[in-house]
Amino acid sequence: MKNWKYVLIAVVLVSTQLLAACAQEPAAPTAAPEVAATVAPVEPTAVPEPVDITLWAMATVTEAGPPPDDWIAYDRILEEVNVNLKYEILPTGSDGEAKLNAAAAANNLPDFMQMVSASNDPRGALYNLVQLGLIAQVDDMLALMPERTQKHYNDPLALSLSTFDGHLYGLPEPPPIPRREGLLIRKDWLDKLGLAVPTTPEELMAVAVAFTEQDPDGNGKKDTYGLGGFLNGDGMGTRFDFIMGAYGVAGMWDFDDAASFGLNVRNEKYPEALAFFNSLVEAKVIDPDWPTLKRDDFRARWKQGLFGIMWEDFAALSNKSNYTPFDENFPDAEWVPIPAPKGPYGDATYGVYTGRGQIFAVSQKAADEGKKEAIARLLEWMATDGYYLLGFGEEGVNFIIDANGNISTEGLDPTKAYTAAEFQPFTQMRNQLVFYNSTQEIAARYPNWTTINGRTMQPLTYLTFYQSQPWVDGRGIQVILPPANAADFLRYYTEGIVQFALGQKEVSDENWAEYLAGLDSLGAVEYEASAKQALIDAGLLK
Amino acid sequence: MLRVRTRDAIAFQIGVAIFLSIILFIILIPLWRVIVTAFVPLDTYTREGIPFFLAPWDWTVEAFRQLITHSLFPRALLNSFIITGLGTIISLLLTIPMAYGLSVKNLPGRNFFMILILFTYLFSPGLIPVYLLITRMGLTDNFLAIILPPAVSVYNTLVMMRFFEGLPDELREAAALDGANEFQILWNVMLPLSKPIILTIGLFYAVYFWNEFFTPILYLNDHDLMPLPVLLRNILISASFNEYVEYDAFSSSALESLKAAGVLITMLPMLAIYPWIQRYFTKGTLVGGVKE
Repeated sequence: MKNWKYVLIAVVLVSTQLLAACAQEPAAPTAAPEVAATVAPVEPTAVPEPVDITLWAMATVTEAGPPPDDWIAYDRILEEVNVNLKYEILPTGSDGEAKLNAAAAANNLPDFMQMVSASNDPRGALYNLVQLGLIAQVDDMLALMPERTQKHYNDPLALSLSTFDGHLYGLPEPPPIPRREGLLIRKDWLDKLGLAVPTTPEELMAVAVAFTEQDPDGNGKKDTYGLGGFLNGDGMGTRFDFIMGAYGVAGMWDFDDAASFGLNVRNEKYPEALAFFNSLVEAKVIDPDWPTLKRDDFRARWKQGLFGIMWEDFAALSNKSNYTPFDENFPDAEWVPIPAPKGPYGDATYGVYTGRGQIFAVSQKAADEGKKEAIARLLEWMATDGYYLLGFGEEGVNFIIDANGNISTEGLDPTKAYTAAEFQPFTQMRNQLVFYNSTQEIAARYPNWTTINGRTMQPLTYLTFYQSQPWVDGRGIQVILPPANAADFLRYYTEGIVQFALGQKEVSDENWAEYLAGLDSLGAVEYEASAKQALIDAGLLK
Repeated sequence: MLRVRTRDAIAFQIGVAIFLSIILFIILIPLWRVIVTAFVPLDTYTREGIPFFLAPWDWTVEAFRQLITHSLFPRALLNSFIITGLGTIISLLLTIPMAYGLSVKNLPGRNFFMILILFTYLFSPGLIPVYLLITRMGLTDNFLAIILPPAVSVYNTLVMMRFFEGLPDELREAAALDGANEFQILWNVMLPLSKPIILTIGLFYAVYFWNEFFTPILYLNDHDLMPLPVLLRNILISASFNEYVEYDAFSSSALESLKAAGVLITMLPMLAIYPWIQRYFTKGTLVGGVKE
């Protein structure tokens, strides 16, 4: 008799377990038609009832959190655009990708969303969702937001990368400030040792040797190196492109033309570039930890005055908060940007510009509910009447525009200034949906400031210099899909190159041929062919 | 002979002590490193990196200050306590009767239920089915979305079941003879004898819920519900992208210091609880893990 009680207990609890484990069959996420019907452009008209729009976008400052519910912008958007906006912050990287994919699998995508990808491939993320029929075509929306289209969606290449089967599915926001990293040298060390700015790899070597051997910081110790850096990306990464570029082989791919397209390691100058790099290693003029350093360790090291030549982001170098520790350690020091060294064949390349930007998309569900027009109204408002509110706050309270047309905080309560930490929740959308890299914007985002010894630090001086240098247009990399064995391929590709750079393998014809043969055995030829075809199909290789 | 054995025993004890000291040392070094990193001042870090020892006058709690004084910290801490407390209680309330029921050897269909339970242990349903279940139950932006899916851990249930199996059947039979029903037997007889396993399994659940990070990201869109691990992650991401944060970076500590401080802050509550239940912990895991 009493056994039924055990049965009851066990049944109830087992069913709890099973409920959690075996959820109902996932509904087919392809309720949406395979190809959405084209909606004819319609002039924006007043909509009687507010349209509910849910927006998923990453934060500009992740730690700051979203704007509060009583944010003035929500009221303005409701009044002026008739949209009841619900803004939710998407996590970055793999977490954001998992969240987006889970919502997609549940056919529960928000109305308007940012594409998030752990591998920094928003186009790939968009493509996958388009294939599932979960993303709406947005060609017709451009006509509804003329000013935004002019400011944000004016790059034909970016538009073509979000176009599949002849229809635009993604709204490509302008990429973060392009070509923002560059080559720098300690001018105070050059001056102390009576050296000139190096212009060739050989001169770079000579200066690096001097910085290593001749005590440029004058502390009586041999505790400095010529160069510092770290591996950031596949192969030699992006931080040594100025060296590889001197031999015309910066980056992974040769994008020059269809005839020469392929992996740069096929170029006979590649081993030559590696041999030069290895000579820096052998001469012990480069921080020996470069193969294992993390970015933050690298940054701590230049702030400790460990080396005199490096590749660095303009803001990571010159923003007040980033530069101040270095300024306190070496108030008389000065980093100056220098051109890329010119190699033996006349090549000089700063780096490869990939131009990846954020992509936003409208869910098919939202389109089916007739929300595209409201989303277009909202986006146009963000680029016009709402631009300053979303980017900088309220004029007169959070920012002012001075007589020269510059954004400023002069005379404002510092805790309410748009630059204050406390104000960051109110401008969380700025880098995702608002800013488009105008001169006024960039000047406001990276203001001048004064160093300890009274020197004016101008971050934009560095940026302008970097951008004026020769860069390889590598935007086509966005259409190159990784091979099926990407992990193995890239591991072999990178480890081999680093071994040559470190001198673990001598750069000889025989060793290089062996390395290339290994790459081929991993499918390099097929990878190159598919990459070439993808670029040709996208019209990015002639 | 006796003397030789004693000498052997002493040598063995010394060997064990040396071995454990080495293990302790291996464990303590990274912990020490984390502590030093958390307290290293930014200027020391930028001047000389992270030293192995800090001078008594050269340390700072800036990284802790930066994390703890964050405007969202109190709310995130409270959320973590709610998730941990509620999650642990609900999990124990579900796990204890399930383990007890399954520990009764003459339970009809016991093997069947065991297979069902083990099936869920061996074959995870994966993210999507659980996501569908949670969203369709309307649990988005609800702490129950974090608490319910892992509320009955198969592993914990089996450990607890083994513990109940180890208790003498005579106790249950005696209580039944006195007229107690099964719930009374469980509540009045078994549970008072099961403190070690309840505290041990409770600790397992508490640690799980305290550290839970991914499901809040998945199911909690409302930032007011964000638990501490998510906030700490967000702060670290911001700090690691200082070069992209215009105006001024908001970190006055090295990123490594923030990470280390975050580790210590999240360790602290569990570290505080552990000594109180340590004496039960060994007993609970040992007894629950052994089948007689």
